[in-house]
Amino acid sequence: MEGQTTLTRRSKVTGLQDAARRARDALRERPDLCLGGLFKQGRPVALVRGLLAVGAKGLHIYSSPGAGYDVDLMIAAGAVEQVFIPGVTLENRLCPNFRSAVEAGQVTAHALDALTVVGGLMASAHGVPFQPIDALRGSDVLKHNPLIREIDCPFSGRRIHAVGPIRPRVTFLHAQEADRWGNLRHLSTMVYADQLMARASDMVIASVDRIVPDEVILDDPSRVTVPSHYVDAVVEVPYGAHPTASFPNYAMDEDHIDAYADLGDAARAGDRAGLDAYIARHVTGPKDQEDYIKTVGGAEYLAQLNAETRKG
Amino acid sequence: MSAAISPLEQMVVVLARDLADGELGAAGAAALVPMAAIALARELHAPNLTVGGEMFFNPEPGRLYPSMLDDRALGRCEAAETFIELFGHSHHGLEFFFHSGLQHDAYGNINLHHVGGTLHAPKVRGPGAANLSYCHTSTRFYICPTLHTTRNFVEKVDFVTIPGHLSGPEAKRVAGLTNEGPRFVVTPRAVLDFDPATLRMRLKSVHAGHTAAEVQRHTGFDLGITQNVPQTPLPTEEELTALRERIDKTGTLRA
Repeated sequence: MEGQTTLTRRSKVTGLQDAARRARDALRERPDLCLGGLFKQGRPVALVRGLLAVGAKGLHIYSSPGAGYDVDLMIAAGAVEQVFIPGVTLENRLCPNFRSAVEAGQVTAHALDALTVVGGLMASAHGVPFQPIDALRGSDVLKHNPLIREIDCPFSGRRIHAVGPIRPRVTFLHAQEADRWGNLRHLSTMVYADQLMARASDMVIASVDRIVPDEVILDDPSRVTVPSHYVDAVVEVPYGAHPTASFPNYAMDEDHIDAYADLGDAARAGDRAGLDAYIARHVTGPKDQEDYIKTVGGAEYLAQLNAETRKG
Repeated sequence: MSAAISPLEQMVVVLARDLADGELGAAGAAALVPMAAIALARELHAPNLTVGGEMFFNPEPGRLYPSMLDDRALGRCEAAETFIELFGHSHHGLEFFFHSGLQHDAYGNINLHHVGGTLHAPKVRGPGAANLSYCHTSTRFYICPTLHTTRNFVEKVDFVTIPGHLSGPEAKRVAGLTNEGPRFVVTPRAVLDFDPATLRMRLKSVHAGHTAAEVQRHTGFDLGITQNVPQTPLPTEEELTALRERIDKTGTLRA
């Protein structure tokens, strides 16, 4: 055995900036980026900011069927060309930069529905050429949806729909915990479409609130939501989902998102100064997550969001 | 109950009364009023009603939240699912669901995509919608916008995001919409239902403090009002007590 190197298992833990550069380079080959979570829950926002900071352009954005803040921010930063997400909203108000960019023709927002997106991810995850869908009728979305075709069901003969595989080049996920090998544990109530996306994508990069010892995973394997087999890199990022929620660790920061939306509305009305300052302060400015936390109010402010998840 | 009944409380009570014991249903995206209605029905007459189909079963939120897709609202629930199970629920359908949009038209079609222009060159872009299946795979749905003006009640929507009754029975048949579709519409002003022959919207009742003429004035199409329109039955003491003391303790529906 003399002269041979002993191989050891490789940790998938990396830094935020390294992960962002890796994603950017992969997305230059094919611009399909998919984001985990749903609306203001469990979104990988630190990874999104990291990607914007290292300069991504011309992205095609996928997500679970509902998204808001992060997609709007990526559009505000000029990184997006096409949106493949059925519902884009902040829920209590509309997404200002998404709307402005679509109205101005700068971004194409495809008309889609939840089953097309979930079915396309299912086809990709399962390795089959298409997923049949038999629950789409009467909507004008069907006239415009670019991802579906009408087919004859080989069993009933009925006209149904088929969606081909959606294969993101890169998927960003946020989970509460992982070990150093990239086994993810969502402690949140919902796991959204994160497990499906992990299996459907070429490259998966996850942020987690904390890296846990190997024993935590080995002692309770049924608690692992995404096995490390599907994960390429994992980054420990405190408040990595902020301003969205990472239940049960912290709630969504509604005040922050509202203030952002006000700046977006001002930009929509013609005054972009506030929005540009926001991007400089929170996205391109901070040199790391610690720095970011300072710009959004500091650890004491964010601790209030921890407490908020425990209110009944 | 001393405080006046709010428009949203009236809407909640109208919806709650129509939900039956043993049914399976979910609240949809704008969830404040629907979730309160579901909770009230479960509290008063439908203890076996199951909330499901949106990735969680039977949540017990400590207060009302504007979105149900919020872990503060879902932190306490009986079980969680994922979008894979939602794919199945969307095909199997629920008993009831709720929708509202930017525009609602005379046949209960709902637009969430764009007002003016075209889809890819819109004058005003809307949010779109995630699930387009529950409106027709479910037994029925309710339309419950919290505004009622000539801007959001129009003769014909610019884009059919959520099909209601399309242009009537024949169009529904051709499109394969075999279930009931929208059963009724409740707004802060009135309850509107659909003529069984034409499936066109008509005024069913006006809430206390409102008049048929006023509802017509704030609706962008003819409601065909020819006779006296009854008043929407007021919430009972029991309904108001349950709503205010057990479901909406923070008074969100009265804000």
